[in-house]
Parts: sequence; structure tokens; C-alpha cells
Amino acid sequence: MIGNDIIDLRLTRVESNWQRKGFLEKLFTTFEQSLIYNSENPEQMVWHLWSRKEAAYKIYHRETKIRAFIPKQIECFSLPLADDFSLGKVGIADQEYFTKTEVTSEFIYATAVVNLKDFDKIQTINSNEIAKDSDGIPFHVNTKNPVSISHHGRFERKITLDCNVQSRF
Amino acid sequence: MENNQIIEQLKSIIKPYVNDAEAMSNLTESTDFITDLKINSANLVDIVLDVEEAFKIDIDNESMAKMLTVEATINIIKSKLHQQ
Repeated sequence: MIGNDIIDLRLTRVESNWQRKGFLEKLFTTFEQSLIYNSENPEQMVWHLWSRKEAAYKIYHRETKIRAFIPKQIECFSLPLADDFSLGKVGIADQEYFTKTEVTSEFIYATAVVNLKDFDKIQTINSNEIAKDSDGIPFHVNTKNPVSISHHGRFERKITLDCNVQSRF
Repeated sequence: MENNQIIEQLKSIIKPYVNDAEAMSNLTESTDFITDLKINSANLVDIVLDVEEAFKIDIDNESMAKMLTVEATINIIKSKLHQQ
């Protein structure tokens, strides 16, 4: 299973005001809020954490079919040895997912997987390789493997898991 | 407060966040904020905060979890107003 989320930082400044009263309190756990307040770049940390929550929720939604706006129940955790936060864990109810996050000055991009070794199997695909099931959930036309699509502003990412790739882990 | 009064106020709250203008003009109680109106999920929290301000209510996490459709939002607003 796979999930991704891309955030166009230029668009997000137009769409959202993360400094709005109540915004952080409604979306982030106490631990996550402390990461934001202690960050040298709070804005970047807000969207870093949010993209991880979104990517993990996509897997959770597919696995459980539960749809809910539960940002504080989707908890980001740090992993030891990952000081730059590029690799992390996200917990939702009794589920746990791994996330990888790419942070640039223009966008933040998170991918989520169930098993650490799946990061090596992520492949970028084209629109013509994607079909959707009756719930609107995308899958790969040939392999039937799960697909995740994220589009925001100037950026789009379409990925699948290629199960033929041997993992390094 | 009647449903149609709440709906009118809710429409003006969600309008700035809607990315599908046509779906907005066909809005009914069953309209879904994300799948129909294409509202960015990060903006759902703005709708929650705007609703809290406009109706002078507090929306707890449990209620917020359900706030994905117009109907669910109306029900939450009504029950919170009723509790006051």
C-alpha cells in the first residue's frame, strides 16, 4: 500500500494562514506543536508534518475505508538517526506507517508506506497507466498495484509500488 | 435556527475555499466538501474555525471528525447550539 502528498509552498501561502488562531491546535498534537514552535522554519515544519499526515491517511483510508477529518489522531513521530526528519513514522489508531519527506524551498513531498522496504519499490508512472476502481481509488492498469496521486499548484506526483524491485533492506 | 438559515450562512463560509464552482451552485445537504467541492483538506480546518466563530460554538475533535459534508456540519451546528 502507498500514499503520497505534495504541497506547493507558493500556493499554500495563498490558501492557508497557519498562524491563524486555533489552526495549529486543531491540526497538530502537543508533540507536533512543539516541533513547530521550536523549528527555525516553523512554516516549513507545519507543511512537512501536514504532508506526512495526508500521505499516511491515504493508506489508512484505503485499508479501513474509514473517511474522517481526524488530523490529531494521525500522529507524526520522529525516528532515531533521522535528525533531518526525512524519515519518520506516522500512527493512526492502531496502524503505523513509515514516511519519507523531501523538503525544498518550493515544495514539500511526503510518501508513506507500510513496510520500510517498500520505499525502494516506489516508481513514478504516467496518467495512461492509471485506472480507478468504483470507489475512485487509483490502481495500475497492468500490475493492479496501488497507485497514489497528489496534485497541488505547480506540482504533481503519480506513483505506484513495483513489487519486482529487490529491496536493499 | 432552521436548516435553510444555517445552510445560507454555511455557504458563505465555505465559498472562499471551494475549487469547483459548478458543484457549489448545485449544493445540497448531501454535498461533500472534498469529493464534490474539491476543497483542499488543509482548508477543512478553516471551515471548522469559521463555523466556530460565526455560530459562537466550540467544535470538539469528535464532531470535527464528521465534518466532511454539508449535512453533517448542519447537524453539528444544530446540536452545539442546542447544548447552549
